[in-house]
Amino acid sequence: MNAKGIALIVALAALAALAAVMKRSDVYLMTLCCVYLMATFGLNLTVGYAGQMSLGQAAFFGIGAYCAAILLKFGWPFFTVLPVAALLCFVVGLALGFPALRVQHHYLAFATLGFNILVFLIMRNEEKITGGTFGISSIPRPSVFGFSTDHHLAYFYFTLVSLVIVAGLLWWLLRSPWGRAFAALRDNPIRAESLGVNITAYTLLAFAIGAACAGIGGVYYASLVEFIEPGPFHFSTSLMMLLAVIVGGSGRFFGPVIGTIVIILLPEILRSSNMEALKFMQKWYLVFFGVAVVALMIWLPGGILSLFDRRAKTPAKELAK
Amino acid sequence: MSTPFLEVKDVRKAYGAIRAVDGVTFNVGPGEIVGVIGPNGSGKTTLFNSILGQIKPTSGDVAFCGEAITGMSPLELSRRGIGRTFQTLQVFGKLSVRDNLIAAAQEFKGSLGSRLFAPPDAGLGEHADRMIEMFRLTHVAHLDAGTLSYGQQKLIDIAMAFMPAPRLVLLDEPCAGVNPSLVDQLRELLIELNKAQGGSFVVIEHNMDFIMRLCPHVICMVEGKVLAEGPPQTVQANRQVLEAYLGN
Repeated sequence: MNAKGIALIVALAALAALAAVMKRSDVYLMTLCCVYLMATFGLNLTVGYAGQMSLGQAAFFGIGAYCAAILLKFGWPFFTVLPVAALLCFVVGLALGFPALRVQHHYLAFATLGFNILVFLIMRNEEKITGGTFGISSIPRPSVFGFSTDHHLAYFYFTLVSLVIVAGLLWWLLRSPWGRAFAALRDNPIRAESLGVNITAYTLLAFAIGAACAGIGGVYYASLVEFIEPGPFHFSTSLMMLLAVIVGGSGRFFGPVIGTIVIILLPEILRSSNMEALKFMQKWYLVFFGVAVVALMIWLPGGILSLFDRRAKTPAKELAK
Repeated sequence: MSTPFLEVKDVRKAYGAIRAVDGVTFNVGPGEIVGVIGPNGSGKTTLFNSILGQIKPTSGDVAFCGEAITGMSPLELSRRGIGRTFQTLQVFGKLSVRDNLIAAAQEFKGSLGSRLFAPPDAGLGEHADRMIEMFRLTHVAHLDAGTLSYGQQKLIDIAMAFMPAPRLVLLDEPCAGVNPSLVDQLRELLIELNKAQGGSFVVIEHNMDFIMRLCPHVICMVEGKVLAEGPPQTVQANRQVLEAYLGN
């Protein structure tokens, strides 16, 4: 194992140890981060690696969550619900991929945005199935090998391990020839097709796999909050997820990790800070957050992780002089 | 001439009243290198795009190894062993040079499903390294293609077309923008690849010296039509070609 792998294991172990001494609300936030990360990892594949714009990730997140809420309340086991929700989102994701075969960029963004609004309206208006604005409550948490995850810490560890598995699977997929084909599709679809890359199949797969990841995240979200209503699946959540991918570094594997931490945790840290120097932030945290994001996009359009590229390129530039 | 490998019969492509390609007919034999010359706007690239499925010809037939391929998509043509380069640079800018070459050939190995479980280099690492060495790109093999010079990207572009060892390659202005010192190297590489892979090439080029020394058979197009065809010396000496191509 290389140094990066060891550093990752150490960081995960430190995170797990830290959670044991954290407040319940902080552990909740970290769990929420893990849940959103499942969706943003998927979105990074669709947007960052395959170059397909999507503003509909929250819809898949919602489909996964509602699928879990309904089936878990019917008494289905969590580990049966999980693949069912993932498969459902995969199939719907395939369908959403079709517009991408005809339109690109901002047109595709609007097509996916429209899909998100459609799903949101179904969640809000189909009361018999979704409970409408009253939502679905008392969603159970799973038991893993006979151990309950009802305790907040147990559920965090369960979610963290699941996230590592999802990330590991995506890492493997992106390291395979599929990952290179996705990148070819993103960089130059016309050339890719002339080299035998089935751009129809890879475009649909990019949407479907990204959607399945969001669906898995939705299942964990439903069990985390134990009550769902349409609000969290509004298209503003899709924008937030896209922002997380871009802020962290689109098309970089760990980009969504940094982005999701910034988007989910930074506002909370600013809002709840008890430090004297940061107390004024309790009122101004959203303004500060907005300015920070704008500044980041101006100076680091490639995302926070592109900072390392700049550092790495500096010696070469010096040598060139 | 040997048995036709690529048959282009009376291909026409019109945009309204403008006839970009106007009844072009020619054959390419196995292992043959055919040059296509002509002034700007003579319809060379439109002809290429009509053959290669990038645009649909208005009429005419294209056959490859006896099979009608008119109007087939670039994907279907690539599966039949037909490769191409474009007039403008077409590399995968954010992939390394080595990954560009592997990407160019990996889709011809196994099925979509089997490639998911294939090794990261799809078993093409050694082949890619040989091509990188052949095109003298070893020192930049690990760098992102988009960060390299125009000439280096052009070499990558051409190397990519040959990675899957296609049976027919259509090269659109391979020398455009390439440093004159690289042109001879490029010509030698193409001759070497022609011998090693045994494929047929059709080359569009404005560099007369390059085309005359590379192609035993040359076609001259003017205003969408074939004006002259034959050995390079014959075409070069043709009075109409000189007038149309070089002006009076």
